[in-house]
Amino acid sequence: MMSAKAPDYRARARAAIQDGTLQKALGGVQQRLGPATAALYAQLPEGPGLRQTAHDLRMQAVMNLDLLLEALADKVRAAGGHVYFAADAQAATDYCLQVARDHKVRRVVKGKSMVTEEIALNRALEAAGIEAVETDLGEYIIQLAGERPSHIIAPAIHKTRQQVGRLFAEKLGIPYTEDPPRLTQAARKALRAKFLAADMGISGCNLAIAETGHITTVSNEGNIRMATTLPRVHVAIMGMERIVARLQDHQILLRLLSHGAAAQKVGGYVSFIAAAATPDQADGPEAFHLVVLDNGRSRILADEDLREILCCLRCGACLNVCPVYGKIGGHAYGTVYTGPVGAVLSPLLAGLKEGRDLCLGETLCGACQQACPVNINLPRLLLALRQKMTEGDRSWGVPAAGGRERAAMRAWSWVVASRGRYETLCRLLAALQRCLPRKAGWIRWAPLDFRGWTFSRDLKPLARERFVERWRRTKKTTGGRS
Amino acid sequence: MKADHESAFLGRVRKALGRPGGVRPAWTGLRGRDADAATLAELARIRGRSREERLGLLARLESEAVPLKLTVRRVTDARQAAQAVVDLVAAGEPEWGGAKRVVGWRHPLITALDLGARLAQLAVPYSESDPALEGQSSEDRRERRAALRREVADAFVGVTAADYAVAATGTLALKTRPGQARSVSLLPTTHVAVIYLEQIVADLRELYLLLEHDPGGKTEGLTNCLTFISGLSKTGDIEFIMIHGVHGPREMHLVVITDEAAP
Repeated sequence: MMSAKAPDYRARARAAIQDGTLQKALGGVQQRLGPATAALYAQLPEGPGLRQTAHDLRMQAVMNLDLLLEALADKVRAAGGHVYFAADAQAATDYCLQVARDHKVRRVVKGKSMVTEEIALNRALEAAGIEAVETDLGEYIIQLAGERPSHIIAPAIHKTRQQVGRLFAEKLGIPYTEDPPRLTQAARKALRAKFLAADMGISGCNLAIAETGHITTVSNEGNIRMATTLPRVHVAIMGMERIVARLQDHQILLRLLSHGAAAQKVGGYVSFIAAAATPDQADGPEAFHLVVLDNGRSRILADEDLREILCCLRCGACLNVCPVYGKIGGHAYGTVYTGPVGAVLSPLLAGLKEGRDLCLGETLCGACQQACPVNINLPRLLLALRQKMTEGDRSWGVPAAGGRERAAMRAWSWVVASRGRYETLCRLLAALQRCLPRKAGWIRWAPLDFRGWTFSRDLKPLARERFVERWRRTKKTTGGRS
Repeated sequence: MKADHESAFLGRVRKALGRPGGVRPAWTGLRGRDADAATLAELARIRGRSREERLGLLARLESEAVPLKLTVRRVTDARQAAQAVVDLVAAGEPEWGGAKRVVGWRHPLITALDLGARLAQLAVPYSESDPALEGQSSEDRRERRAALRREVADAFVGVTAADYAVAATGTLALKTRPGQARSVSLLPTTHVAVIYLEQIVADLRELYLLLEHDPGGKTEGLTNCLTFISGLSKTGDIEFIMIHGVHGPREMHLVVITDEAAP
């Protein structure tokens, strides 16, 4: 299990930056998707304000979550489906295993779903002796390689075609090829057999609609349709916030989700699923179970400063523009959710102490908010998180940050509150900096916490003559003109 | 009576929202609403489109279909539509080996194509995805469904109708009804959909409006499985290279009947 703790995060980030293949792949994703998504936003028939409208719709849903979830559950049950409300990952995986036992399930096919990664469902299924096959091509590659996704919508983007070729030759027993169409065809063939033999299909849920009682899934490969149509049992797992009130809200959000996720007008396949097949229908699953997952979300909901993150649709658009993600990739984060959204969500889901470095790693440049289909103010959320970590927050169980930073800040505020003290400090530092090693006029190394700066770049020394001194001098020589 | 897990779960949500007593705020988002005047006017505008306007939508659909690898064919009547399907069957080869087989929906438009008789001339078996489930015991239903599954999996062409097509996105919307198996548009290598010109709408906004308010569809609602299909299945998961035909069909055709109206 990877961790989001500081030394690991930094070490992985450093390794990622030195990985030329990864750098090329990340650059490729960002260059293709980032601008293409922005272009689609610019062409929205309702104007760019639609992202804010979508934000309002999402926020409205989040603020009425209890009512929407009740309405959804009532509708799904009325249509003959089952609904289970899971407080945490354990409850959710236990329920899935129980459904699997009830239906004598031996083989499971899975549609791509981040929430099943979050609850480590595959591990639970495998421990129970049930085969669980990922069917999104990228997820399938990752599963065969024993890794975890590095991007929300392009999970295997860090792999080269040669790596995939070797992997398929080894695991699928096909002759080595690095031709992407042939590799895709090999996966198509192997997975078709899995789809036809599976007893249970597991999917996530992009957005449920309370008004009609449907969950919706979006995919381009057709794998989610396969996994939710062919097996006897369909289990859908949704984070409890993935719901909107009305069908018309879904219309707006589906378009924006498709723009954000893959710069498409609309995703290739969108399924609205309400229930298992009725007795008179020719195919479709015999049983439908919907698992609604809390797993820390109600704690986020309770925090007025942070609940905005629950508007997220998990499209991955923020990853495609983030300068930090673009350099370190998804694995460096060490968490299921990566990029700017992960930097906010992961610490909140895992507990603030676990993921604190993630939210410190982002730059607050604001590109993520511009790319977000529902205009989530991610920079504000990152700052709010940092503030809670520094000042402490009882509801999140974080103490105020260590005494040293606090003392330094207090000393600094004491110094700058007085002109005399400030000038004395400047003079003192100007004298002390002479001892530091220099190159071409720049300071190469500084002691104590200043090393954090000089570790990766040089520091400009304090000027010999300070601005105020120069001001006074020039004022004298120019006779008072400014 | 709600299970404990559910009450506790929703209780936590209410507490987080600051209404632990379960106070209902004024939230009208879920009430079934009748269409307002503006919506009615919009519906009338969509229904009242002239033939020229509809042909314009078809032209838009044709151009949007190109990058989606969806082939659009215009035909004047059902007879020509049937011929278009027969031509596709004659030209195609089964992807997974074996003999050619075709499966189609039990749907007024598809049944009218008389594909069984036409394909018999090519010695290609044709069946409707209609396993006659009514009045069967659940054991028999399971058996009939399994037999249908084999038929659809063995078929290399699947023929369906659609409820709507969307010009701006190249999207087909398919509801689920008895005799209209979901897998027919999914498992065969080639999916052929046949529609009338008047089923084309301009964009997704119009589609959702009709899904919600079209009187014909209002009683059945979205059905238990509504699917939007926008072109061929595709992936960019290996080095971001776009490849069409992953798990769904590898070939997709839309046949549009331009000179006949739906009965």
